[in-house]
Amino acid sequence: MNWVAYGPNALLFRFAEQVSGQALSRQRSIVTDLERHPPAGLVEVVPAFTAMLLVFDPKIVPKPTHAAEELLKRFEAAGQGKLPATAVKEIPVRYDGEDLKAILKGKGMTVEKLCELHCAPVYKVYMLGFSPGFPYLGDLDPRLHTPRLASPRAKVRAGSVAIGGEHTGIYTVDSPGGWNIIGHTPLKIFDPTRGEPNGPDEAMFWLKPGDRVKFVRVD
Amino acid sequence: MGPKVFEILEPGLGTTLQDRGRPGWRRFGVPPGGAMDDHAAHWANRLLDNSPDAPVVEFLLQGAKLRVLAETWIAVTGADAEASVPTWRAVRSYEDDVLQFPANRSGVWVYLAVESGFESPRWLGSASVYTRGRLGQPCASGSVLCRAASARFELPRGVAGRVVDWHERRNYESPPPLRVWRAPQWDLFSETDRELFFAQEWAISSQSDRVGYRLAGRPLKPAAAQILSEPVLVGSIQIPPDGQPIVTMRDGPTVGGYPKLGLVEAADVSWLSQCRPGVKVRFQLLP
Repeated sequence: MNWVAYGPNALLFRFAEQVSGQALSRQRSIVTDLERHPPAGLVEVVPAFTAMLLVFDPKIVPKPTHAAEELLKRFEAAGQGKLPATAVKEIPVRYDGEDLKAILKGKGMTVEKLCELHCAPVYKVYMLGFSPGFPYLGDLDPRLHTPRLASPRAKVRAGSVAIGGEHTGIYTVDSPGGWNIIGHTPLKIFDPTRGEPNGPDEAMFWLKPGDRVKFVRVD
Repeated sequence: MGPKVFEILEPGLGTTLQDRGRPGWRRFGVPPGGAMDDHAAHWANRLLDNSPDAPVVEFLLQGAKLRVLAETWIAVTGADAEASVPTWRAVRSYEDDVLQFPANRSGVWVYLAVESGFESPRWLGSASVYTRGRLGQPCASGSVLCRAASARFELPRGVAGRVVDWHERRNYESPPPLRVWRAPQWDLFSETDRELFFAQEWAISSQSDRVGYRLAGRPLKPAAAQILSEPVLVGSIQIPPDGQPIVTMRDGPTVGGYPKLGLVEAADVSWLSQCRPGVKVRFQLLP
């Protein structure tokens, strides 16, 4: 594990060498530890595949680098807790994406085979990012790894299920995007109108880091 | 509901409510948002004794036109868009006045504050409209804006007017060198490339918006084209494969896979935000 300063008020910790289930368990242990015992002046934690950003309030922590080594020791001690065995959430997908034909042609694969491979794993949410609630799902079958489009689309519809390199994910809002679209889901992964008035704001986000999901083919 | 104060006649090139943003939601993929030029937005509120968290209207460049629905104090700051009222000062406006911003002379973002602040719903703790994320919507023709129903503004007794000091007002056509911190991929750049970045003047590209500002100049070449996606802060100088830097702005993606050379000092991001396409900027490395 190591760390690097990211401007005067933030530290970026690297807790793993590569994306893996182990890295995710480690990420969750560190986040849980930070939630239980937040260091003074910590205002934001952003977990990602192998890196975690900690942002501090400069009025309380003028020099975060002075606290870095101690935090590093603490994160190393947090170890690799087991992921909570949350229920697997199912995501219905119609495999009719704009890039489906090109992928099938490029891989010499039938649509049945692609669906089988894409629906087989239980995926883990490694992080949310890019746009509100966009889940980066790891554990994609290597036979489905596909480089991003050379030139991104100006508009990808919300609900598009896509493959970007070694990951699969779901566009949560209409936005530009460079991933290969293989299908669409009617599920609203991000919905700013979901949840009770004055209820927790987290209700807008259907998936959270550490969640487990499975794709189910529908026609 | 507080009193209605403005009707939007023309939204111009882009009109939204903004405040100081929603820090803390990056882990859910939501950028911090907020007024692009927090310096000018802050002064608009301060002229009227508003809370620094009060929402203000942010106009992009020019073209907006508003009708005043009720007598009220206002303050206009930021870019020079030939406003129909005096700017950088507290101004009394009257029913049926038309407030307009016909042409852009300098800067990019214009701010309008109203006494006690604009009223607005909040999403994730902030009134800042984030159009792509469907948190709020831009103002359209016919939109009506209300002010909060709290205490009214009054000039202190014996004071004839309130203006922002000249030394606090900025010439957006000639920004000072923008200060830069090292970012996590600093070491992926050769000594030559780092020097090239700090030695040259970069022109702001017309492909710049609330998401990111693109810079045009002699291209850089990082040692790696892509890195594993990791968190990105506002002000990050990212170098995509074409070598032309993109500075992440307030509505920018929360994670990214381009190497980051530096981070523009938070206080200087407001300067950068007011640089129009074609304006030249230089950067200066902080220790």
